[in-house]
Amino acid sequence: MNDEARMSNVETMTKHEAASSLSFVIRHSSFRRRSRLREQALFWLFRLATYLILAAASYIFLDIGIKGSRVLFTKKPPFVNLEFLSQAPETLYVFDYQGKKMTLGDREFREWKTTHEINDAEVTSVAYSAGGIWPCIVGTALLVIGSMALALFIGVSSAIYLSEYSRNGRMVRLVRTAILNLAGVPSIVFGLFGFGLVVIFFGWNVSLLAGWFTLGLMVLPAIITASEESLRAVPQGLREGSLALGATRWQTIRKNVLPYALPGILTSSILGIARVAGETAPIMFTAAYATRDTMPWQVSRFSDFFFQGVMALPYHIYVVSSKIPQNDYTARVQYGAAFVFLLLVMLIALGSILLRTRLRARLQW
Amino acid sequence: MSVLTETAGLQMPRAKSSHRKGRTLENLIRLFFGGNAFVAVVVLVLITLFLIREGFGFFGGNLQNLRVYRAAGLEYVDIMRTQVEAHAALSRALSDVRVRETRKLAEQGRSVEEINSALAAFDQFATSFSDAGNNLAGLVSDLGDQAIALKEKAALGEPADLAALRSSYPAYEQISAATAAEINALLANPPQLSTPEAQRSFEKVKARMRASVAAFPAKAQCLREWDPGRPVHWYESITSFLFGKEWITASFWQDWYGVIPLLAGSVMVSVVALTLAVPFGVASAVYISEIATRPEQNLIKPYIEFIAAIPSVVLGFFGIAVLGQAIRAASELPFMSWVPFFPLSERLNVFTAGALLALMAVPTIFTLSEDALRNVPRAFKEASYALGANRLQTIARVIVPASLSGIVSAILLGLGRVIGETMVVLLCAGNRIAIPDFTEGLGAFFQPVHTMTGIIAQEMGEVVQGSIHYRALFMVGLVLFTLTLLINLAAQKISARYRMSVG
Repeated sequence: MNDEARMSNVETMTKHEAASSLSFVIRHSSFRRRSRLREQALFWLFRLATYLILAAASYIFLDIGIKGSRVLFTKKPPFVNLEFLSQAPETLYVFDYQGKKMTLGDREFREWKTTHEINDAEVTSVAYSAGGIWPCIVGTALLVIGSMALALFIGVSSAIYLSEYSRNGRMVRLVRTAILNLAGVPSIVFGLFGFGLVVIFFGWNVSLLAGWFTLGLMVLPAIITASEESLRAVPQGLREGSLALGATRWQTIRKNVLPYALPGILTSSILGIARVAGETAPIMFTAAYATRDTMPWQVSRFSDFFFQGVMALPYHIYVVSSKIPQNDYTARVQYGAAFVFLLLVMLIALGSILLRTRLRARLQW
Repeated sequence: MSVLTETAGLQMPRAKSSHRKGRTLENLIRLFFGGNAFVAVVVLVLITLFLIREGFGFFGGNLQNLRVYRAAGLEYVDIMRTQVEAHAALSRALSDVRVRETRKLAEQGRSVEEINSALAAFDQFATSFSDAGNNLAGLVSDLGDQAIALKEKAALGEPADLAALRSSYPAYEQISAATAAEINALLANPPQLSTPEAQRSFEKVKARMRASVAAFPAKAQCLREWDPGRPVHWYESITSFLFGKEWITASFWQDWYGVIPLLAGSVMVSVVALTLAVPFGVASAVYISEIATRPEQNLIKPYIEFIAAIPSVVLGFFGIAVLGQAIRAASELPFMSWVPFFPLSERLNVFTAGALLALMAVPTIFTLSEDALRNVPRAFKEASYALGANRLQTIARVIVPASLSGIVSAILLGLGRVIGETMVVLLCAGNRIAIPDFTEGLGAFFQPVHTMTGIIAQEMGEVVQGSIHYRALFMVGLVLFTLTLLINLAAQKISARYRMSVG
C-alpha cells in the first residue's frame, strides 16, 4: 500500500523532472526542492546506517582495547606486562591475612604456605585467573604454522591446476562446485569431521596433527580462490612468450607465472591465517586442551610432538569466559587474553589488507 | 638449461625418447596438480560420508530406546505424569496471579499486612488446589520407580512384567475422581480479587482449570487403551528425531533426541541477526558504492572488511561481559516499562546472540552486495540520468533492481554464515534447551535458547563414543550440513542467473 503510493509518487516526479527542462510549470521548483530534500534525507539515513556499523565495531575494539591494555601494559618499564605473556595460567587464591587482602598465584601461594599458617576454608580459589597465557600463544602459533603449510601446499597446487592446466570440462565444474560448497560448510561441521575421521577413525587422538588437518581443510577453499585469482592476474603474454620459446608448461609456470603470482598468493593467505587463528569450534575436540602442565616441546620422543594436544588462545578465551564467573579477579585474564588475541588477529588482518592495497597499486598490468 | 635440451630435441632424431620422457613428466606434474585440485571434492564427499557413517547408527539405537520406553511402561507412567505436570503448571499460574495482585495493591499504597489479609481467601484457594494434586503426584512417583526397575530389566533383555504397573489403574481412577471433585468444589466457590487486571488473569486460570478437569476422562481412556505390545515402527525413530520437541540427555528416566528445540533456536537467532544485518549491510553497501565520497570509500570499505576478521570467540566474550548486561540494564530502565516482556530476567538470550551475529553477517552482506552494485554496467546509470532521473531514483529503480539477485545471494551467504556460527551462540544464546514460549509474542526473542551448533560444541566433548547421544550429535551435524549446503546452492543458483541477466 505504502510502497505503491511511493512508486506512483516517483513516477509523477519523473514526469515533472522531464517537464522541468521545458520550464513552464511554476510549482515545479518547489516540487523539485521537495524531491531533493527527500533524496538528501534518504542519503543521510544510509550514511547513518553505515556509520552505526562502524560505531558498533569501534565500541567493541575500544572496550576490549582499553580494559585489555590495562592488563597488558604497565606504567613502569618495560611497559609491557611480560609476566602475563610469558607464564602459564594458574589458579588464583584470594584470602584475608592479618587484615590484609592477599591474592596469590598457585606457585606463590604454595611457597607462602610453607612459612605461614592459613585455614584452607578461608581461601577462595579462582581457576585460570593468575599467571599468563604463554602456552596458549605457543599452541596457537603451532596450529597456525602447521595448518597453513598444509593448506598452502594443497591450495596453491589446486589453484595452479585450475588456472593453468584445466579446460572447462565437467571435472573442473565439479571441483569448482565442491570448492564453493566447502567454503560454506560451518566450522563446527569441520570439527565434527576432523573428530570422526582423524581423532577416532585414524586414532590420532586429540593432537596437533588432527588440528592441522581440520583447520587446513577448513581454510582450503579460501586459499584456492585467492591463489587462483592472483594466478589469473598474471598476463597471458608472459605465458605465451615462454611457451613460444619452447619451454614446457611446467617450466612456464615455475619461471614465468608463479614468481609474479606469489606475492598476491601470500598476502591473500595472510587473511587465511587470521581465520585459522581465530576459529575455536574446529579445534575444540580435535586439538585443544583446557589445561596442560608442560610446553609442547617438552616431549620424550620426537614423534610425540605431533600427537599431543595443545592449549590454544581462542579455546582459552572460551574456557575463561564461560567456565568461570565474571568478577574483578577473573576480568584480568579474560580481558587480557581477549585483547592479546584480538590484537594478534587484527594485526595479521590489517597487514593483509594493507599489503593487498599496495600490491594492487604496484602490480597493474 | 632444460629449455635448451628441449629445443635441441626437436632437431635431433635421437632425442625423440627424451622428448617423450619430458611429455610423461609433464603429464605427471599435471596429474599431481589435478590430484590436489580434487582434494576439495574428496573432502566434501568424506564429510558427507563420515557424518552419515557416524550419524545413521543413531536411528537403530533410538528405535531400541523408544521400544524400551513402551515395553517397560515408561510411556504409561508418562501419560499420568502429564496430568501431574498440568496441575503443577496451574499452581504456578495461580502464584503468578498472586504476584500480579500484590504488585497492584502495593502500587495503591497498601501495607504488606493489608495485602496478605486481602489475599487470605485466594491463598486458601491456591493451597487447596495445590494439595489436590499431591495424591496423584505420589502415585506417579511410585510408579516411576517401578518403571525404572522394569527399564533396567528390559535393557538386560528380560521381558518386562507390567502387571504391577497396570494394576495401579483403579487407584489412579479413584484419585483422579477425588481430585476432580475437589477442584470442582473449589471452582464452585472461587475468591474475588480486588484489581481488575488480576481478576482477568484469574478468570483465565480458572478456565484452564475447568479444561484440565474436563480432560481427565480422556487421560483415563488413554491409560485403559494403552497397549505395551503395540509395535514401534522403524520410521518413528526418524520422526521422533526430526519432529521431536524435546532434547533430554543423560536423564535417569528417558532420553529424547528431538531436533526441533535446537532448530528453533538456530532459526530464531538467525532471524534476529538478519533482521538487523540486512538493512544495515545493504544500506551501507549502497552508500559506499553510490553515495560516499572517495576518501570515505577508501576508509570505510577496509574497515568493514576488517570487522570480518574479529574472532567469533572474542565477540562471544564481549556478549557475556558487556552486551548481555547492557541489554538487561536497558530493559530495566523505567521508560522502557511499556514493553510487555521487559524487564528481562535473562541477560543471555536470543537477542544478545543475534545482535552479535548481525555484526558478523554485515561484512559478508556488505562486501558481496557492494560487488554486485559495482558490477552494474555504467550504461544503465547513464541511461537513467539521461532520462532525467535524479540519483535516488537511479539507485532505487535502476541500480538496486539490476543487482538484486547479487544482493539476495549475498544475504543468503550471510545467512549461511550466521546459522553455522558456533562460538557466539554457545556463549551468548543462554543455552536453555527448550522451544521458546511463542505466546509471549516478540518476548520469545528475549528468551534463552540452545542451537544446533551450540549443542554439538557443548556436548561432543563429554559423550561416550558410539553411544546414541554421540550419534545424535552427528545427526544434528548432518542436518546443519544439509541446511548450509542448500542455502549455499540457492545462493549460487541466484548469482549465476544474475550474471546472465546483466553481464
